[in-house]
Amino acid sequence: MSISESNFEILRDFIYNFCGIYFHTGRKYFLESRLTRRMEARCIKDYTEYYKLLRSGAEGPGELKQLLVEITTNETCFFRNTQQIAAFERQFLPELVETKKKIGFKKLRIWSAGSSSGEEPYTFAMILMEKRATLLKDWIIEIIGTDISEKVLAQARDGVYNNYSVRNMPEFYRKKYFKEEPAGTFTLLPEVRKQVSFTNLNLFDDTRMVFMKSFDIIICSNVLIYFDAPAKVKIVQHYYNNLQSYGYFFLGQSESLHSVNDKFKTVHFPGGFAYKK
Amino acid sequence: MNKPDKAKRMEKAELMIRQVVNLPTIPETMTRVTNLLDNPDVELDEVAEVILTDQVMASRVIKIVNSPMFRPMHEIKSLKRALIYLGFRRIREIALTCSIIKTFEGKEGAFDIKTFWQHSFGVGIVSKIIAQRVRYPETEKAYICGIVHDIGEVFLSSYQSEMFQKIIDLIKGTCHSFAEAELFMLGTTHCELGLSLAKKWNFPLEYCDVIENHHSPQDASFDPMLVAIVNLADLFCSVRNLDYDNREWVSFSLAEEKSWEILQRYSPNFSELDVERFCFELDERVAEIEEMVRSIFES
Repeated sequence: MSISESNFEILRDFIYNFCGIYFHTGRKYFLESRLTRRMEARCIKDYTEYYKLLRSGAEGPGELKQLLVEITTNETCFFRNTQQIAAFERQFLPELVETKKKIGFKKLRIWSAGSSSGEEPYTFAMILMEKRATLLKDWIIEIIGTDISEKVLAQARDGVYNNYSVRNMPEFYRKKYFKEEPAGTFTLLPEVRKQVSFTNLNLFDDTRMVFMKSFDIIICSNVLIYFDAPAKVKIVQHYYNNLQSYGYFFLGQSESLHSVNDKFKTVHFPGGFAYKK
Repeated sequence: MNKPDKAKRMEKAELMIRQVVNLPTIPETMTRVTNLLDNPDVELDEVAEVILTDQVMASRVIKIVNSPMFRPMHEIKSLKRALIYLGFRRIREIALTCSIIKTFEGKEGAFDIKTFWQHSFGVGIVSKIIAQRVRYPETEKAYICGIVHDIGEVFLSSYQSEMFQKIIDLIKGTCHSFAEAELFMLGTTHCELGLSLAKKWNFPLEYCDVIENHHSPQDASFDPMLVAIVNLADLFCSVRNLDYDNREWVSFSLAEEKSWEILQRYSPNFSELDVERFCFELDERVAEIEEMVRSIFES
């Protein structure tokens, strides 16, 4: 069902104000198709009525959660956020290496919070492996992927992916670090798998969050949307506390921290932004 | 920037401009339009008549009026209607824009002139948006200053194309800025070159201020707020796909930018701007701006 410009803007603003994800006009059809699925499930025929449902006190929050699941399902893949990766490789990583060398601490710690089936932390692992002989010679690298679902953690540890997961990946990496199986799947080589340790973590678990210390990079993409405003504030405060003073924090490509945390400073780079203390 | 350095750069820039044989002048039409508009009793018909003597300018004025920047309800087809729609204040500015485009047209430069104008119009439009948000009264002026801020670059690209190509190659893949590389290679930068041109063409003082100080808003002498607006717009455009094809790697943190500080001082509410959303919204304007530049250059 085609969505009018004004309804699109209303729903877009509603979603943005609730979870900080911005749908630009170019993704109108994507939002439209996801909305249609939910509306069919609820037997609702028009957008105005669905918007009413989202805003209703009783059923609204539950329905919004369902909608967000539709919006973010299958969103992860290797090399998903190319601008973020470019900024990491060109600017943040060399800068971090420089800073840490000065203090004589040749160790890099990266945390992918809400790592799902592992595409994100493994992407960082491969990029860093490429710099093992040069920039990161003799460095200790720790990459940690955490998720609340044992199912996706097991998938991540297995390291077997389908075509869809590798769709964005430069051929160089696919050939070098994966074994293409006859069934059409791609198995990540053990040397990459051992770079990342996966562990179960509930972002709401304060006692454990306190111990996720001293990270140089924290990435949390498309995860905060599942939490309500006070929970978001608390989780982001943990990220803030656990990030090194010179470290960087990344969200998903269309996500924003506006009204969640005002201590982080935005750092803009071509096509995106990150946060720092 | 210390003073003697600045004087030397200025001297070098003026020398470089003087050395160009056949340096373009601002078209006669522009001068005539400006003179007419200086007269408080001028009639719209008189202005239309002068612009119509330059067919290219006349058709560009109509294209700009119909662009997403001005968004008339219905397409405006005649010059006179366009002028009525724009009003006297904007006519001067649009005529100036058209003149500058014309001045550098047809020159083989080191970079594609359309990419240059895309960045310039982008900065113009974003300057206007920021001006509205900080309640700077003269939003049209912010728009025009955004458009002309980099005329020094287009001068280099058009009249020193080999050297300019070397500068582009030098900064490719590094974190160095155009200005740093220009200073290293030429002993001056596009800011001083732009200022020399602007003076030669008798641009208003506030335009000169922007052209000279758009990378150092703290040095602005005439209208610091205007310079800060264009500086910020330039930064945002550079990271949101409205730059010169990613030739230089731009990164900034608002909290450390002088222009952000200046704008907050003048307009305290500005600090509440949802910067992230502002960026997402700018991404949506890119296609519009590309479309506008394409239409302006269509013959």
